[in-house]
Amino acid sequence: MAAAARWKPLVPWVSGVLLLLAALGLQSQLYSGQERTVTAIFMFVALAQAWNLLGGYAGYASFGQVVFFGIGGYFTAVAMTHWHLSFWTCLVLGGVVAALFGALIGMPLLRLRGHYFAIATLGVAEGIREVVTNLPGLTGGGAGITLPTVGDQATTAYLGNDGFYLLFLALAALAVLVSGLVAGSRAGYALRAIHQDEQAAAAMGVNTTRIKVLTFALSGLITGLVGATYAFQQVTIFPERLFDVDITVLMVVMVVIGGSGTVLGPLVGAVILQFLSEYLRQNYTSYHIFLLGAIIIVAVVLLPQGAVNYLRDARRTGEYSLLANVRRYRL
Amino acid sequence: MACSLALAACGSKGEAPSGGSGTGDTLAIGASLSLTGALAREGKLTQEGYQLCQDKVNAQGGVPVGGKKLKLAIEYQDDTSKPDTAAQLVDQFNDKGVKLILASYGSANTEAQAAVIERNGQVMVDSAGADNKIFSKGYKRTFAVLSPATEYASSIVKSIAELAQPKPKSVVFLSADDGFSKTVTEGGMKTAQEQGFTVMSPQYFKSGTSDVSSSLIKVKGQRPDVIIGSVHLVEGIAIVKQAKELGVVPAGGFGETVAPPTPDFAKTLGAQAENVLGSSQWTPSTKGEDKYFGNAQQYTSDIRAKFGHDAEYHDAEASAACLALTLAAESAGSTSPDKVRDALAALDTASFFGKIKFDPTGQNVYKPMSVIQIQKGKAVTVWPKDAAEASFIWPGTAS
Amino acid sequence: MTSFLQATLYGLLQGGLLGLIAVGFSLVWGVMNIVNLAHGAFVVLGAYVGWQVNDWIGLDPFLGMFVAAAVLFGLGYALQRWLINLVVNGPVFITLLLTFGLDLMIVQAMNIAFSADYRSIPTSYAGDSLHLGGIRVPLGRLLAFGVSVVVTLALVALVNRTRTGLSIMATGMDRAAARLMGIRARHVYALTFGIAAGLAGMAGTMIGTVGTFNPAAASGYTLLSFVIAVLGGLGNMYGALIGGLVIGLVEAWAGQYLPGTWINALAFLVLVVVLIVRPSGLVGRAYYAARLEV
Repeated sequence: MAAAARWKPLVPWVSGVLLLLAALGLQSQLYSGQERTVTAIFMFVALAQAWNLLGGYAGYASFGQVVFFGIGGYFTAVAMTHWHLSFWTCLVLGGVVAALFGALIGMPLLRLRGHYFAIATLGVAEGIREVVTNLPGLTGGGAGITLPTVGDQATTAYLGNDGFYLLFLALAALAVLVSGLVAGSRAGYALRAIHQDEQAAAAMGVNTTRIKVLTFALSGLITGLVGATYAFQQVTIFPERLFDVDITVLMVVMVVIGGSGTVLGPLVGAVILQFLSEYLRQNYTSYHIFLLGAIIIVAVVLLPQGAVNYLRDARRTGEYSLLANVRRYRL
Repeated sequence: MACSLALAACGSKGEAPSGGSGTGDTLAIGASLSLTGALAREGKLTQEGYQLCQDKVNAQGGVPVGGKKLKLAIEYQDDTSKPDTAAQLVDQFNDKGVKLILASYGSANTEAQAAVIERNGQVMVDSAGADNKIFSKGYKRTFAVLSPATEYASSIVKSIAELAQPKPKSVVFLSADDGFSKTVTEGGMKTAQEQGFTVMSPQYFKSGTSDVSSSLIKVKGQRPDVIIGSVHLVEGIAIVKQAKELGVVPAGGFGETVAPPTPDFAKTLGAQAENVLGSSQWTPSTKGEDKYFGNAQQYTSDIRAKFGHDAEYHDAEASAACLALTLAAESAGSTSPDKVRDALAALDTASFFGKIKFDPTGQNVYKPMSVIQIQKGKAVTVWPKDAAEASFIWPGTAS
Repeated sequence: MTSFLQATLYGLLQGGLLGLIAVGFSLVWGVMNIVNLAHGAFVVLGAYVGWQVNDWIGLDPFLGMFVAAAVLFGLGYALQRWLINLVVNGPVFITLLLTFGLDLMIVQAMNIAFSADYRSIPTSYAGDSLHLGGIRVPLGRLLAFGVSVVVTLALVALVNRTRTGLSIMATGMDRAAARLMGIRARHVYALTFGIAAGLAGMAGTMIGTVGTFNPAAASGYTLLSFVIAVLGGLGNMYGALIGGLVIGLVEAWAGQYLPGTWINALAFLVLVVVLIVRPSGLVGRAYYAARLEV
């Protein structure tokens, strides 16, 4: 028993590494289109984890999270096209720029609470999209911008499906790692304290503004890195897609379905939802969205606290009945 | 747990590639379409066009390829109107060994697909991606049956310069701000300057908006003779509706690129739609015929019989794309993507869609745009003169 | 000067319609703390109901809007009573997610039932306009504006003067206490959601009369409602109308004095600035801003 307890802290690490190895092994088993599908899953794992840092742990739901995705992507596109930087430089800088932007808007916006924070971030994202659309000289405007990937203009050789698989896998792993480290750190406790009662947290000596702004910036950093990679993968990018509110909504949906405020939740949610929507789209071409909506509704009614939280509570209380679960949350 | 999920992902999708297009007696073609989302309407029409093509070809026993008749088998996937999904679908088709692709609807989707096509060594015929940008990248494996974006408004300007009496002096462009519409506007303004019109500064509004009142109020004071909208259907309807509300009446008339040829335009606007000019990739009076569809009139009645509505040019350009791919496979005598690509590059044929022949960038060199006018609630061809079904009514706003 | 007045007038009329679109969204959010992502789908569904009765029996949309309101009320009531109430005690994102699922289903169902064609409800008069000096007052939009004002006033009267309205507000402020007072919260919640859906249906019919619609328009109306509700502020029945008018005017003026499409960025800039300066919205009550049950 004592030995088991000693090894217990290692369990997440070992299973994390095993998962990573499994994902690496999986690559050789996939054909390139499947590879792209799985790559998209990795992308959403990273995005959902990033959203969860502030939205899940601290309860500050950013509905404009996609702005970091767009900024990372457009920074990369502009820097590769006009300033001829290599993709790897752009990737790092794109993440940093997104993080700085997060800190900058975080300072005024994180004073807002609940839905007001949500809508203000949404306003920022929509506004920045319009700015990008209105600077055609720099960003190509509504016509989109094409990253140089072939010929003399190419600063970095295109990574191909194999390369992007590995890169997005690395980003997903990074996001899970960051989320795990945050969850176990003082910062993680501070964020959860803010979620419970912000005034009490402040009274306990938590510098709430600082921790919120830093977390927002960190979440922006990861999202920006993903956006930069996505831009390079897509080659041609458009403002409507890079700042698409649907991407934010997907992040939220994935986190909530999986279980918000946990490390495992966003991972599980992203994998389930992305896999499910892809499966439905391929097999029920004309009404897949209808089915997806219905499945989300059923999942929400049966597991309002998210899959991971439900399992955790059920293991603790021994109450696995879904009906009992429904009874807890109904009016 | 995620491990088993990953395996499930593998299991459900991982049938091995079926070994290239056209094993057995079918010619497999992949089509990613916008069946949901913002482009669902046009995506549906594109699907109809592809579907009719498959029916027509298979009704004749299929396409003869190297001594064997192959039935067309088009597989549809929904790209939900998103370019990244459209590109991903092309990759997925490639895995299944489907190398011949019919494009999705719209420039953004097509452009995203073209890059993947090039990388994978597939071949694509583009039915509705008109932005000139697609053809300026040196792609060798994307062929478009339709006229490029620069022609959309240009053709209207040319028809007015040629036919309008009295000849109007000034033109203003109201344009959506997406890439395609902006290219349309630039092309139209260039032509208008060449034709000696006074061209006022264009007004842009958000693509997909149903409120263009600001732009209209701005141009009202300038009293342009002609207002040309580089628009999609929804903004095109808004321009006419709100111009009436705001009393914006140009002395000459309205032109609206792709909105008027769509039946919804006249249906929603009723009398207000009268005499509005539009440009169309195809009309039922287009000259030419081919062995599968016959001529344009027969095509119209086939669409009506099968889908219960009048043929729109979106139907026709989709059918034409499918036709070009089919004919290329036939003349290549092979389903290998490289051979089909070479056959497409060499294709020179008549069809219900007009002549089809591609230049080195992949654009259809013969393709003119037609200009239509709404007359008594119907879109009739008025330009070019040799295909005109009715005379050009001018000024279009006198009533 | 004429064009300034014209733009102002048009912006006001447009703003009134925007207020009508958002008022139900604001009500549901204020009372039940539910962010209804299916609101835009309700609006478009209302437009289809108005269109359908016009197509069948030629009913004028200004009468048809009551049919739309009735149908949507029934749908809204049923959805809340037997579906959303199941999770209303869960974390707030749960109701958001549930309505997201509803939105997907309704939009796709409309796509299948009505196709993605653009439609508009025809009238002989909505496109006409009155001449007022040099400016035009479009009749259809003027009437829609009138509907918006009347509906807002009626809603205010309902919540302030009637038992039903008071029980809605009471439940919104403190559900536990309201239940102790004998208010049937399940019914009141369903009633609130039904009223909101009904108002969305009316707004949809108005949109169909002065403009065009198709299923893909739904998400745009949800987003717009979100912005307007917050801008106006929650907990005040005038909030949506005021938020709508502000957005309408700002866009109209910006359209005259800003180049290109910068106008679109401006509405969001105004929103963010208002929120930072006055987090509870223009006329909202601070209580609603402070409430947080994420």
